[in-house]
Amino acid sequence: MMKNSFLSMIILYCLHKINGERTVYSILHLLNGKKSSQTIQDAHFFHLTSFFCTFPLLKRVELEMLIDLLKKQGFISQYKEQSYYVTPVGVKRLSEYFKSNPIPANLNGWKYHNLAVVFWERLSLAVQVISQLKNHNSKYLPIQKSKELHQWLKDYLYKRKLSKDELADQLYDELVGCLETIDDLDPSILVKRLTGYQIIGLTESQAADQFDMDVDAYHIQFLGLLHYMLERVGTKQRDFPLLSYMIEDKKRDASLTESSHRTLNLLQSGYTLDEIAHMRNLKKNTIEDHLVEIALNIPYFDVSAFVNLDKQQKIKKAINSVTSKQLKHIRELVPDADYFEIRLVLAQGGEKK
Amino acid sequence: MKLEEHLKQYFNYTAFRTGQKEVISSILDGNHTVAMLPTGTGKSLCYQLSGYLLNGPVVIISPLLSLMQDQTEQLMMNGEKRVIAFNSFLTSMEKNQALSQLDTYKFIFLSPEMLKSDFILNRLKELQIALFVIDEAHCISQWGYDFRPDYLRLGDFRRELGNPLTLALTATATQEVKEEVISSLGLIKWNEYIYSVDRPNIALAVEVVDSYQDKSDRLVELVQTLEGPGIVYFSSKKMAEKMAIQLKRYGTNRVMAYHGGMEQENRVLIQQQFLHDQLDVICATSAFGMGINKENIRYVIHFHMPLQLESYLQEIGRAGRDGLKSIALLLYSPGDEQLPYQLAEGELPSKEQLDFVYRLLEENKDLIKDLAERDNEVRSLSGLTEIQWRLVEDYLFRNTDKPVQQRFEQLKDFINERLQVKRKKINEMLIWTQTQLNGCRRKNILKYFEEDKTIEINDCCDQCGIDLTVFYSKTDNHKSADNFFDWKKHLAKILLVSERD
Repeated sequence: MMKNSFLSMIILYCLHKINGERTVYSILHLLNGKKSSQTIQDAHFFHLTSFFCTFPLLKRVELEMLIDLLKKQGFISQYKEQSYYVTPVGVKRLSEYFKSNPIPANLNGWKYHNLAVVFWERLSLAVQVISQLKNHNSKYLPIQKSKELHQWLKDYLYKRKLSKDELADQLYDELVGCLETIDDLDPSILVKRLTGYQIIGLTESQAADQFDMDVDAYHIQFLGLLHYMLERVGTKQRDFPLLSYMIEDKKRDASLTESSHRTLNLLQSGYTLDEIAHMRNLKKNTIEDHLVEIALNIPYFDVSAFVNLDKQQKIKKAINSVTSKQLKHIRELVPDADYFEIRLVLAQGGEKK
Repeated sequence: MKLEEHLKQYFNYTAFRTGQKEVISSILDGNHTVAMLPTGTGKSLCYQLSGYLLNGPVVIISPLLSLMQDQTEQLMMNGEKRVIAFNSFLTSMEKNQALSQLDTYKFIFLSPEMLKSDFILNRLKELQIALFVIDEAHCISQWGYDFRPDYLRLGDFRRELGNPLTLALTATATQEVKEEVISSLGLIKWNEYIYSVDRPNIALAVEVVDSYQDKSDRLVELVQTLEGPGIVYFSSKKMAEKMAIQLKRYGTNRVMAYHGGMEQENRVLIQQQFLHDQLDVICATSAFGMGINKENIRYVIHFHMPLQLESYLQEIGRAGRDGLKSIALLLYSPGDEQLPYQLAEGELPSKEQLDFVYRLLEENKDLIKDLAERDNEVRSLSGLTEIQWRLVEDYLFRNTDKPVQQRFEQLKDFINERLQVKRKKINEMLIWTQTQLNGCRRKNILKYFEEDKTIEINDCCDQCGIDLTVFYSKTDNHKSADNFFDWKKHLAKILLVSERD
């Protein structure tokens, strides 16, 4: 059998989850991390939030080539234009593949896609600079070049009020403490990338080579480690003061888009949907999209101001009686509800169907 | 204090290299100075140390962006924070901020297009400039490969600044280039320090192969047998990557590609890995090497021929900075000169692009008035690169009394002329690779720079005879990465001085 790339298996996995109810391009949007309500909603409905924005640079043509390959291998079969379902052979291949190449348990693209980028930039620069400080060397090339980042580090080091030795020792302890508890990934995957005094870290492709891994498989494990660290640092801030200070300023609810966040603020100040649309000079549809996004991401967000309880009940019943998640089928059962109302209730139900 | 003591104080070196002390003394005595020092001998130290010993800022005109970046980085690495580089990387906000505190900088780098800005000129006039430096001065000559019309302003710019003390630096200049540099700067009296471009410890060899396939096989063989570390230069990013993969496949593990199209973070890592001997071979484009102070490079191989002998000398000059025996090897297969011709043409705007811009301006009469603001629009429509656009823009803004059509005709003439110069340069390079009948390669390259070969050298060149085995590796070239990796120990090595239990 032909060897499949890791990425093609991820795409097969996603196709399996969406089960022909969306086009293949919805997967592109998901992996690219497109911030549209549709993509965000799909990620939640189909339990694919962990992959959100994990391949931001994936191109349309690359996806199409992989889809073609999967088709030729008989793993997927066309259902209608741009939609596929996974064949029984494909399902079997999937479960075999992920048995030996499991997806990291802590991968959470939806929650951490932005934070992980910042965290890695800061962590890698901090480790390098602290290592050089510790070795009393001031002549080296910083591996991160952005001036903003350098300024951040300067403040960071200044505010910690620790000596060079204390800083290095404590950062070492925190990194070991944070990484040694992970059971499904090898911390070397991350540690090999770090640069310090007279030790230069590896690039992504070099590291993948050394682990004899497909570069995309390596990338997912690397992200898995970063997400694991963020989760642990976030829940046990007191155990990891140095690490948690690295992201202290970035913790605003990152799961909402900027625009939805503003809509939420206006809602909480008591404005109606129409008023918000008018004030922000946006279409009402757009504001409704924001609301769906908010309902998806904020637990206990009360939607009864927009859909009365009675209608909510009816819609929920309809959702449970259809097998498909296509809005059209649900609406056939609740003709007096509009699409916005159905989407809101679906969103509030989130992933617990 | 003696100059050597200052050298120790500011740079922690104990001795000057050839020419440095003479050039610095000349400047400190208040003489305009023209210096030609071979690549790899620390030209930038001449203005850096002089700058520290003079009162007031040093203004450096640096024609190549990547070189400017490297030099500012080097200064900063040396602990100097009072450095600023005005070039297209700077946002307008950063630029304005830097201009408002211009008097706080010791080293001010300018790219040539900044010579156009009256704003910068006026701010510079307020300073007491201690030293005015033209780096890679051969670029400002019309005979030079990289000439751009922006340089024509250099003389006026310098006069406007009140003819400050001036240093013109270059590694490679023919007589006519040198004369043009001096006259365009308007120097009347000056000291000249000319050192040979020759690097006797670098053996020169050209190997002719029959085909591309043979060339690629030969490269694999050379990399496996020669003593490293080494650099292999390519004219294309794709080829650099392809051959790096090929070399790995044949067992050279510690090899990586390096080119301008890579992510910044990866570029820094690979460059640093090479410096710290974690890599043995770099497959690079010309983007690699400027400002890299690695002493022990044992060979430089050219897979493609450069576009001029000047570049070739610069690139092979990265070998053997420690003074030990090294080799430069150029692989040539018939027809290889086609690629340089294509590249040279690609650097200039094509006739089609010019006609397109002309039509665009004809059809939108108000466009030419707002051209300064709308240049991005015109650039993206016509597909011109930044440097190509600068040429066009320059001709459109100059001679505004003449009709647009006439300005375009002049531009076309200029481009034709440039193309002729570039073709001539490539031809000279090509002839040098083909000297089987004309004897010593070192003699020929020196003749090009109007020098005579005066000393006899062992392993001089393939024409005089080389014992290639001298350059063979004494150890196994198949070094692989350590297989055993303990992440806690590694982390301890980075962050703790001594391992703890």
